[in-house]
Amino acid sequence: MTVNSVFLELLTGLQLGAIYALIALGLTLIFGTLNVVNFAHGALYMIAAYVAVVLANQVGFIAAIFLVPIVLFGVGIALERGLIRFFYDRPHTDQILVTFGVALLVQECLKWIFGANNIPFPLPEWGNGVAFLHEYLPFLDGFVVFPKWRLILIAVSLITVLGLYSLLQFTRFGLVVRAGMRDPQMLRFMGINITQRFAIVFGLGALIAGVAGVFGGPITQVSPDVGMALLVPSFLVVVIGGMGSLTGALLAAIMLGMALSFTATIASLQQIIIYLVAVVVLLVRPRGLLGKKGVAE
Amino acid sequence: MFERENRARDLTVLGSFAAIVLTLPWWLTAIGGYEALATKIVIWAIFALGFDILLGFTSYLSFGHAAFFGFSAYVTGLMLKHVTAEIIPAMVVSFAGTLVIALIIGFLTLRRSGIYFAILTLAFAEMLHAAALSSMLQEWTGGDNGLTMDTNPVLFGIEMEGLNVFFFCALILIGGFFVARQIKRSSFGLMLRSIKENPMRLEYTGVNVQAYKMSAFLISAMYAGLAGSLMVIYEPYVATKFLHWSTSGEVVIMSVIGGVNTLIGPIIGATFLLYFENVVQAFIGEQWKLVLGAVFVLVVIFLPGGFVDGYRRIRKAFGAKVEPRRQNVPDKPQRASDAYDRKNTATQYVD
Repeated sequence: MTVNSVFLELLTGLQLGAIYALIALGLTLIFGTLNVVNFAHGALYMIAAYVAVVLANQVGFIAAIFLVPIVLFGVGIALERGLIRFFYDRPHTDQILVTFGVALLVQECLKWIFGANNIPFPLPEWGNGVAFLHEYLPFLDGFVVFPKWRLILIAVSLITVLGLYSLLQFTRFGLVVRAGMRDPQMLRFMGINITQRFAIVFGLGALIAGVAGVFGGPITQVSPDVGMALLVPSFLVVVIGGMGSLTGALLAAIMLGMALSFTATIASLQQIIIYLVAVVVLLVRPRGLLGKKGVAE
Repeated sequence: MFERENRARDLTVLGSFAAIVLTLPWWLTAIGGYEALATKIVIWAIFALGFDILLGFTSYLSFGHAAFFGFSAYVTGLMLKHVTAEIIPAMVVSFAGTLVIALIIGFLTLRRSGIYFAILTLAFAEMLHAAALSSMLQEWTGGDNGLTMDTNPVLFGIEMEGLNVFFFCALILIGGFFVARQIKRSSFGLMLRSIKENPMRLEYTGVNVQAYKMSAFLISAMYAGLAGSLMVIYEPYVATKFLHWSTSGEVVIMSVIGGVNTLIGPIIGATFLLYFENVVQAFIGEQWKLVLGAVFVLVVIFLPGGFVDGYRRIRKAFGAKVEPRRQNVPDKPQRASDAYDRKNTATQYVD
């Protein structure tokens, strides 16, 4: 292995991890606050990707980048207010079942409207082509290129993660949400309307899925099956990281991305590597990397 | 006397069940179905029945039962293709193989409950699916194309096709239903159902909860494995879809629509789903899955006890006295959900 190939594999790993991270962050955020496992999260990603394709064709890509997360935020709030909130008091299995049902409905609706096949998602002019990395990074040897769009995806994910982190860490809203993750009952006693804030959190989770859909769509494909295909690894990310732990999800996403990227030369191993990693982690640490004691055990 | 009354009732239940199942090809044809559909229904009913032993009794929701169904189907297919067209050896080997797989997956997933369990079972089933499609196993599994066989399976030299397969599967379903009923009323079944109520208290009373969970998991995997291998006997072709999450999803939908923890519910659910898929589809066209998804969501929201519960509610509304289906009530309902549970969980003791 040369410096070049290691570097490229690191980048690929980051890029793969970035998509998982964006979806898993939404999942774990919703789980941590609302205690709901959202099997429809992959469907939200899919809605985002499809809306992005339509908007990019109609009003341009730049507009889509800003509109899609807003649309998804609305979809998230609507889903929470219209359906999920009636399930807070019901068993976890019912929550899983109803979100699974929603995922099926979304999948079938999209199939109905757009057809069962992959639809093209053309990249904008400025995101197309490759970046010549060796021009900027002197330690690389010779000629090294990487698709521009994937670099943009990594950058956007980084910005999203930092944005979410500062929102939770440095604002009053974030303080309330974090407190609500610890002890929702106490917060209610103090007269804080956590219901409203938690609805916003669900919207935020959907919004992040929206970001993932716009930027990940061109890479992952835009087809009615992609939601579930991404949901399974994202779930694993959440479980490996520890349910409800944002940092854990981030770590796990990068770990799985790297695992996928570094096994790329051995195709048969690559197809099952993320499950193997999951098995090993869960055998060693059943609670996940950064899972807290007592959370969903 | 009570004993005798019960036995008589038992015989009636089993007898009518057997009669309905065995005449399925004929009455199904009368309402728009066809003979081969009857076989398919029976096979899926076995799958769903076993699923109920896990989901209904212990309330462990598995999203990975496709793993057992599909794995068993592949093993059966490979046996029939490479070893012998006789189905008995194929079924025995696939049964044993499924048990081993179920032991491994159970060992890894049953340490966690609820959400974790659902996610982990889903993940392991997807792993098997990915493995079956992988370049390493492609030579054996046929990759994306699935596994095709050129010879028809036989049972002691008799070709397994048409009504032969149907009766073979139907007998297994009737036997499976009988066994499931026995399990339900045994002390073992009672233990399984107490896992649903309060696993911690059970643990404190010195019961090895893990072993009971594992047994329930294995039993339901056995039913799934049987169904998987019957599927290949019915139609000598193994589709990669058998291992796909949508197969697990289908069995979940069947059980929930029909009504979990009733044994008969999932069977009704399987019949409904396949009838819907094959007959009603002709009237509503491509969007049948959409309609089915909507039915599923509506059932989960408004009728968590499924069709069976719906039937009971209708009877109650017409003034029939519906006996409460449960006698062991926990000390106090902790949440609204428990109140619902208390209303719907079936517990019939046999003294």
